[in-house]
Amino acid sequence: MNDIIQVEKLDVGYDGIVVLKQLNFTISKGDITVILGKSGCGKTTILKTLLGLIPPLSGDVAFFGEKIDFHSEKVLNKLYQRIGVLYQGGALLNSLTLYENVALPIKMQHPELPPQIEREMVYSRLAQVGLDESANKYPAELSGGMRKRTALARAMIMDPDIIFCDEPSAGLDPITAAGLDVLMRNLRDLFGITFVVVTHELRSIEKISDRALVLHKGRIHYFGDYKDLFTLKDPFIDTFFMKGEDHDY
Amino acid sequence: MQEDKKIIVLPERFLIEGVASAMNDIKGLNKDYPIEIDLKNTRFIDSAGIAFINYLKGNYPNAVFENLKPEIEKIFSMFPSHDSLEKDRKRKKTGISERIRFRRVAHSMEHGLEHGLEHLDVKLSDIRGNFKNFFVLLADEIYYTYQYFFQRRGIYPGEIWHQFFFMAYKSYPIVSVISFLVGVTIALTSAEQLRNFGADIYLADLVGFGMIRELVPLMTGIILAGKIGASITAEIASMNVLEETDALKTMGVIPEKFLMVPRLLAMTMAIPLLVVIADVVGVLGGVLVGKFFSEIPVRTFFDEMLRAVDLGDFLIGQMKTMVFGWIIVVSSGYKGFSVERSPAGVGVATTECVVLSISLIIVGDCIFALILY
Repeated sequence: MNDIIQVEKLDVGYDGIVVLKQLNFTISKGDITVILGKSGCGKTTILKTLLGLIPPLSGDVAFFGEKIDFHSEKVLNKLYQRIGVLYQGGALLNSLTLYENVALPIKMQHPELPPQIEREMVYSRLAQVGLDESANKYPAELSGGMRKRTALARAMIMDPDIIFCDEPSAGLDPITAAGLDVLMRNLRDLFGITFVVVTHELRSIEKISDRALVLHKGRIHYFGDYKDLFTLKDPFIDTFFMKGEDHDY
Repeated sequence: MQEDKKIIVLPERFLIEGVASAMNDIKGLNKDYPIEIDLKNTRFIDSAGIAFINYLKGNYPNAVFENLKPEIEKIFSMFPSHDSLEKDRKRKKTGISERIRFRRVAHSMEHGLEHGLEHLDVKLSDIRGNFKNFFVLLADEIYYTYQYFFQRRGIYPGEIWHQFFFMAYKSYPIVSVISFLVGVTIALTSAEQLRNFGADIYLADLVGFGMIRELVPLMTGIILAGKIGASITAEIASMNVLEETDALKTMGVIPEKFLMVPRLLAMTMAIPLLVVIADVVGVLGGVLVGKFFSEIPVRTFFDEMLRAVDLGDFLIGQMKTMVFGWIIVVSSGYKGFSVERSPAGVGVATTECVVLSISLIIVGDCIFALILY
């Protein structure tokens, strides 16, 4: 089965307040899907709901063909072994060094792995994000961008099937951001990793997107191939990509 | 006849699960021993598999790799060689930086003090929910600690010792000073009264019994609530606000186990030491008052005190303090995990944790007094 995430009639929100309603979409293996929309439209909320961090108000979510019971710790832990997450602020553990942060999923999920292999894995991933020289530093000693790159290394360390990224390029310099885009594409091409990316960075969106999910006014405004977005004559999308004149939304 | 080289044929999918057994195959081999890694069957390799190959390349100069397919070679090209690891080996490893680890905690505590007591008004309707959540966390912690003894997973290696260092080594000076001062105060206050009745010698009984059984457990509990409890809450609350606990969850780690069990075990190890130190120093305060104020010789003081206080009293003091320590850890975790996700929430949670811990310690002390009366 090629669809690895299937969402049906999903209502998401907090404390009974619906932020996004009746969401229906599917994400296919090996696709890079970007979630777009104005600030506060619920992009991160969708991401957190898919991750089981915010319980859905109603509707169904299936990963790898299996419906997820978000109240079952066992089901979620099984799911978490197949996904990686890059959080908006990095969410590194400040009491651990970069090395220890990246090694954490290995230590927790595969404590039997020989330490030499763990070191090789961690340094490879840190080198991929250009931080192998800073392995013994603490997150507090780094810039926001470096923290985010470390968080990506941590998200990748267990070779997940899906990586969820919340604003991966935000706060990064253009060179590092472009490097990150290339890395995502390579990971997709070589390992078939699926990416679900929440982002605002137009340059990055253009480079990486296969599919786009545009949110507007509490609903899905568009879901489909990214390149088809530009064939639409839609005022909101025109404004979002600054193709047309300003509209009052 | 001994093989002239070690041949390892890798499977079709060489994944993390197979790496430990591949490492076992080369275990005990001399670094110069020729090794042939045959990848004729290998169609996919994950990063642990690549790490295994890189490890061989870096450590076994006579290792050769046969039948490497172009698609596998392409995957290899994405993973840097052994160089960075070599550089790291030469670099002096830095120790754990207390400064960084607790900078955020200190900031949060400061923030907590600014907020004072105005956020402590708890709605009656919330009390039942809070009560339930507190006991759910308590039950979880008992279960996770029990589970940890049989299945050593889910906790960061070395964290128990780090927490123990923080709780015992960093707390004993303040516990000692306060116990000494309490010992002196109790002795001075009592000495005046006892002198009126010509019962100066009973100062030893009073100080010994009062300190070892009552005041040391209570004061140690209160000091630890302020020092350890506040820092645990601030740390966990900050982690919640910064999505670190979410990150742990999505790595398949249970934050309530990962963060709390090391602290609970560290507290369990630290309490007996702190109580012994506080008992000794507190009694010493009484001895000094006895010697210089009531003119009781040191030897006489100890003889009299040991007639009044036995091992049972010492153990009761230990047990009470241990229970207070557990109350502090669970209260801190409860407040840390239930923090409102904002920077201000960290301050509020920290303040609430100290108030909750001290209140529960005093209630607990009262219950102990009733039971042990």
